[in-house]
Amino acid sequence: MTTRPLYVGIDLGTTNSTVAVFDGEEITLIRNNQGSVLTPSVVRIDARGNVVVGARARRFLDSDPANTRSEFKRLMGTTHALEFPASGTSRKPEELSAEVLKSLRQDVADQLGVAPECAVVSVPALFELHQTAAASDAAHRAGFERVELIQEPVASAIAAGWSQSGSNGPWLVYDLGGGTFDVSLLETREGLLRVVGHDGDNFLGGRDFDRALMDVALAKLAADGIVIDRANSRHAQALRRLQVAAEDTKIELTRATQAPLFVAGLDVDGQVVDVDLAVTRAEYEAAIGPLIDRSLAICARLLAANGLGEGALERVVLVGGPTVTPLLRTRVRAVLGADFGEGLDPMTLVAQGAALFAGTVALDGRPVAKAPPSTGPKVWLQFPAMTSDLTPFVVGKLLEQTNTIKQVRIIRSDGEWQSDPTPCEADGTFAVMVRLLPRQNTSFQVQGLDGSDSAVPLQPASFSITHGITLGDPPLSRSVGVALANNRVQVYFNRGSPLPIRRTFVLHTVETVHPGSEEHVLKVPIVQGEFAWAHLCRLVGTLEIPSTALTAPLPVGSEVELMLELDRGGQLRAQARIAGIDQIFDRVALLMTPQVSLETLADAQVKLRTRAADLSRAAFLDHSGKTAARLSAAMPRLDEAEQNIKAARGGDLDAGEQARRTLTDFDALLAEIEAEQAWPELGRKIEETFAMAVSWVAGYGNEAERSTLNNTYQACKRAFVARDSDEVERQLAVIERLGVAAYFRHPAAWEWEFERCAAGVGESTDLRRATELVAKGRDAVRQRDRESIERIVRELWGLAPVDHDEQKLGHGSGLRMR
Amino acid sequence: MTTPDPLAGWRSNPFFVLEVPTDATPADVERAGQRLLALLAVGSANAETYPTPLGPATRDAEKIRDALAALRDPAQRVLHELWANVAPADGPASGHSNAGPCAGPWEEAEHALGWSGLWAR
Repeated sequence: MTTRPLYVGIDLGTTNSTVAVFDGEEITLIRNNQGSVLTPSVVRIDARGNVVVGARARRFLDSDPANTRSEFKRLMGTTHALEFPASGTSRKPEELSAEVLKSLRQDVADQLGVAPECAVVSVPALFELHQTAAASDAAHRAGFERVELIQEPVASAIAAGWSQSGSNGPWLVYDLGGGTFDVSLLETREGLLRVVGHDGDNFLGGRDFDRALMDVALAKLAADGIVIDRANSRHAQALRRLQVAAEDTKIELTRATQAPLFVAGLDVDGQVVDVDLAVTRAEYEAAIGPLIDRSLAICARLLAANGLGEGALERVVLVGGPTVTPLLRTRVRAVLGADFGEGLDPMTLVAQGAALFAGTVALDGRPVAKAPPSTGPKVWLQFPAMTSDLTPFVVGKLLEQTNTIKQVRIIRSDGEWQSDPTPCEADGTFAVMVRLLPRQNTSFQVQGLDGSDSAVPLQPASFSITHGITLGDPPLSRSVGVALANNRVQVYFNRGSPLPIRRTFVLHTVETVHPGSEEHVLKVPIVQGEFAWAHLCRLVGTLEIPSTALTAPLPVGSEVELMLELDRGGQLRAQARIAGIDQIFDRVALLMTPQVSLETLADAQVKLRTRAADLSRAAFLDHSGKTAARLSAAMPRLDEAEQNIKAARGGDLDAGEQARRTLTDFDALLAEIEAEQAWPELGRKIEETFAMAVSWVAGYGNEAERSTLNNTYQACKRAFVARDSDEVERQLAVIERLGVAAYFRHPAAWEWEFERCAAGVGESTDLRRATELVAKGRDAVRQRDRESIERIVRELWGLAPVDHDEQKLGHGSGLRMR
Repeated sequence: MTTPDPLAGWRSNPFFVLEVPTDATPADVERAGQRLLALLAVGSANAETYPTPLGPATRDAEKIRDALAALRDPAQRVLHELWANVAPADGPASGHSNAGPCAGPWEEAEHALGWSGLWAR
């Protein structure tokens, strides 16, 4: 095996994890020491501190649930620490994930004799940046030196695309894992696999099926007078044991119409209870029906967002254990109207795809020298490790200045093909089109040719390319931006942007930061979400510039050149350059979801309920049946959050996390409905903005601007009629821009703006500087020095006061646009 | 303050960036993109510029990836084909000086001029 590449792919699942390896031609699933390709994502730490992972740990979920942890994947990226009382230790979720990954790495070493140094690890497409960072951290802790992350649906798609080439229409990967649901719309054309879009729910998975089944069991027990309450922390252990049993019952119900749920010696308030229930498939299906419908609504949303109607899909690929559920398969087939991809193992597809992806990015896990030693001048080769193109380019550059090599030639190892001699450019670069053998790994030799066409050995002397699929850049699942002090978001990357991506914007500080003052930190909050208001988006990280690290004072209005970069797996890098003092900061701190107390969550839940009731009342008064129906349809999510808060009080950390997210989503929904109810107001705003703009553009705009203004106004009105608020806002911004541009052409505009700023000088963030500027501005006005007035006004804008309430909502951001 | 280039969007037409004709097959487009990315990776100076009807323009790996992503999407590709084909051989045709599928540098210009949010104040 070590003579061939070792591309390692790992599916780090909520319930089970899998590792696969690809050698350039074949995929092998690695078995653990129990002989299974599925390793339960369960970790136990006993009283002596011994760590056990997988099936051996899972056995203790029933008898020693306090020291045995599962389902920590959904908690990754949060500040929750999981306790192991027997050993008196606690571990972060990513540390437990690292234990699972370490165990899988050992399985590869046991089976293949090589402990891999690199791997591709899959993460849900909708994992947020802090969760992605936690996954990467876990892999490094497990001993992998280089790690690439891949979105799970992309991995499934690669594996499905690898084994089922020839399809040309759109297809869907429906991936319901233990804890997360991802759905991806894909397209394969001429071997190019493209992710058209994706959607999902980070808190919907097989675990919720278990919970639904547990609810059936709890109701049956309550009917017999045995009350087990999720909100009661003394019942936590009993609940965990019931959950383990429920999982087994669930699996059995995929084959049988009735299955037992048996737990012996359950401790309920000091009373020992033997649970012996019979659950029918009909009861189970009634409980999970709404969950399946939730997943199908997400599929419908994705198809609608991409303009696809009924019957448009060529096939559906099912991924994840819960997709073997008969009801799920029936409903998915009925609603999506497409056949399932045949011959694909839903349990291991993600790991297989991750291994194939490692092949496409040439992430060879072998720790030793990967090629036999060679001599001659060094050449830097660039080629796709895997491609759907049978005639790709191999590009290279001679790294050593040598006058002997004039041309290069590439020879296929089977001796059946060789390139024409290709001349090297003056800088030593060359590009040669090579011919691959279909559906296999093809090796080539590369050699230089001197002036007399004699071969000169180069190093490396050989390379190989696999003919398979070409992967289009995966799209970003959620927009990423920076929260500003006015609670708005400066969007860096829009949802759907191809990864990797990098962008830089210049922002400005809202207050002066003096070096050395301990308590002062300039915060750059990084948020993810589709909302214009920062508080509705999720805070996924904060780049902090501590005043103790500053070498000079940072006056209010200072320029901060902020760069954000995301790699293909969604890993974030941020860098702030402060031009004035030439300092660079790149430590993204707190890339974790801060813990929110259950009291705060409960309080938020009550407030949201009141707000929803007010909106509902207003909707009825306005005869807006659509809004009322929307609110009514969303209310069960609030009830669910209430139940989850109760469960979290009983010790279920995952339920608390789920409640937090549900409440944020609900808040966003209410904000959307509030905006809709303020629709007539938006109509007035359009008219007022247009009236203002037209008066300036008429006087100071050119013909093209007048025409653009008119067209934009018409487009804005059309969007208003279509109730497309995003489009209205976009068109309004154009109208404002045209008006402002024309306004500033008025000879006195900068003076007027100066007077407006001078009137508010008392509220400036740097009063001394603002007063100085106003005095200078007065002189400039007297001297009719328009250039200086403009410069002073621009600086005064930077000193405008911050609304501290808005800043607080904007995650404490210390930045704004000009 | 830099003067925004109203033709920037048009100059960045993916067909120009990748130097492929508008009737190139998806495989041709991918091959051209892969070749250019590889050339840029090894530091080929020739790969850093590309010809447009308005004279040479510069490209980097991000621009190439954006161009590939745009041409992989059939809906976007149709628009880009249209705009690439209206280019006359000796300069821009009238009427598309600040239009085209890419909106151009408006957003950056707005920020550079400090207009954002001004109206609301």
